[in-house]
Amino acid sequence: MTSNPVILHADNLIAGYLPGINILNGCSMEVRQGELIGIIGPNGAGKSTFLKALFGLVPVRDGSVTLAGEDITNLRADQLVSRGVGFVPQTNNVFPSLTIEENLEMGAYRAHKSFKKQLERIGDLFPVLIERRHQRAGSLSGGERQMVAMARALMMDPQVLLLDEPSAGLSPVRQDETFVRTRDINRTGVTVIMVEQNARRCLQICDRGYVLDQGTSAYTATGQELLKDPKVIELYLGTLGA
Amino acid sequence: MAEATTPDPEVATTATGGGTNLLLQNLFNGVVFGLLLALASVGLSLIYGTTALSNFAHGEMVTFGAVLTWFLATPQPVTVPLVPVEFHIGLPLIPAALLAIAISAALGWVQDKVVWSQLRRRRVGLVQQMIVSIGLSLALVNFIQWWIGGRPVRLTTSIDPRVQYGPISVGNVTLISMAIAITALLGVAFFLQRTRLGRATRAVSDNPALASASGIKVDSIIRIVWVMAAGLAALGGILLALYQQGFSFDDGTRLLLMMFAAVTLGGLGHPYGALVGSLVIGIVAEVSTVWLPPDLKFATALGILIIVLLVRPQGILGKAERVG
Repeated sequence: MTSNPVILHADNLIAGYLPGINILNGCSMEVRQGELIGIIGPNGAGKSTFLKALFGLVPVRDGSVTLAGEDITNLRADQLVSRGVGFVPQTNNVFPSLTIEENLEMGAYRAHKSFKKQLERIGDLFPVLIERRHQRAGSLSGGERQMVAMARALMMDPQVLLLDEPSAGLSPVRQDETFVRTRDINRTGVTVIMVEQNARRCLQICDRGYVLDQGTSAYTATGQELLKDPKVIELYLGTLGA
Repeated sequence: MAEATTPDPEVATTATGGGTNLLLQNLFNGVVFGLLLALASVGLSLIYGTTALSNFAHGEMVTFGAVLTWFLATPQPVTVPLVPVEFHIGLPLIPAALLAIAISAALGWVQDKVVWSQLRRRRVGLVQQMIVSIGLSLALVNFIQWWIGGRPVRLTTSIDPRVQYGPISVGNVTLISMAIAITALLGVAFFLQRTRLGRATRAVSDNPALASASGIKVDSIIRIVWVMAAGLAALGGILLALYQQGFSFDDGTRLLLMMFAAVTLGGLGHPYGALVGSLVIGIVAEVSTVWLPPDLKFATALGILIIVLLVRPQGILGKAERVG
């Protein structure tokens, strides 16, 4: 993995929602092709903001984001989708009045000619969605919606998939499913960057984790190393060795 | 063919009656009015759905269709305010109406390009945008009054003779108007349900941020919605002017409340809510005149709005979404 080329590079990002108030104060990250990256940190550390800044949803005031060497800083969401970046928001991540199939069709909006082919591919990962393709997404449970949201983002066959707290609000069983599914998606060759509250579970499946604190990327190491790191254990994992 | 005259009060009153069964006749009139109201309000609903803007200038877009048709069809010389030239156009009614719809749709494009997309890009709040639309409405209604004057204007001088069908009497122009309205509304439904662009429009209605994150160009979709809304409003205005045998500069403005009521009653932002809400408003308003004074008919329709919202706060078609 460490020999793979760098696909996404964030350099010293400074970003925020309101004028004059920065949430990110110099966040950097280097992601290699095929990696599964977890971003962890305490509440208010800027994890989700970091992900949104990568996807152009929060204006980047300084620093740069490059995708395979090309500058993508502050591009519009639809432009990033065309370049192979997918994003799954934490909440409001489906079109409730559209059917599951229509939700997936919207995911492939920019590549509608390959919709049928992509639908078959997604059907292998999420067979249940194909069975229930004519059901309205608004009638689904949180876990099912999360599945639709991930499948929608995968319809464009992205190189990089950004997941904002995919396990938030789900039951423990559904959370486990989500982590396993994220791992499966990553194994198909998609580079995944996920933000997670459930730091332990996230680090267990991650190739590498980034620890964010007060808007800066404090340090990075492999998931296994971070799980054993005394400081991480004290701050984010609670008890030792549990 | 067409000229600016005051409608004959006799003709105007016979346009809403004449059948042998008062209840059935009024029910039928209600369906006619409901369909024409739906044409006018479906665009209002689409704009609200995709941008969350309550467009108070929508009524003038309805009047504008009738004004342009009159302008293009009247055989008399006509002028446009601030333009020092006299026009003698005098097109036949149907080409004039088609051209008026096309011009209105083009103005919908211009309106979004020049005003609304700029406000959205600068992240101007929705209340502020609504106030802008109120200002635009006032400016337009005064401009139209300046243009056509304060008296009612007719699109055609020919009288639509009423034909008796069982207990209902109706003119052929009204029947053709209904057919046009139904075709146009089915066209909108087909667009929303069966075309990729239409499904993307519903996606933008549901969640613009997610639509953008899916690769949909949200602003292009909204532009298309404005063009459709302006075209449909113009068509509604033309057919209403024919149905009511004339129109005034402020007809659209007075219709706006009914349109808002229809859209709210049907389910705010729901694509088919405007149709269902308009039919309910039209039927209630007309049927109520069987028992209540005609002056109260719109008040009765708004009373129904309150009752329905008390029972179904999301409107008739609006769906209560589960949270989380």
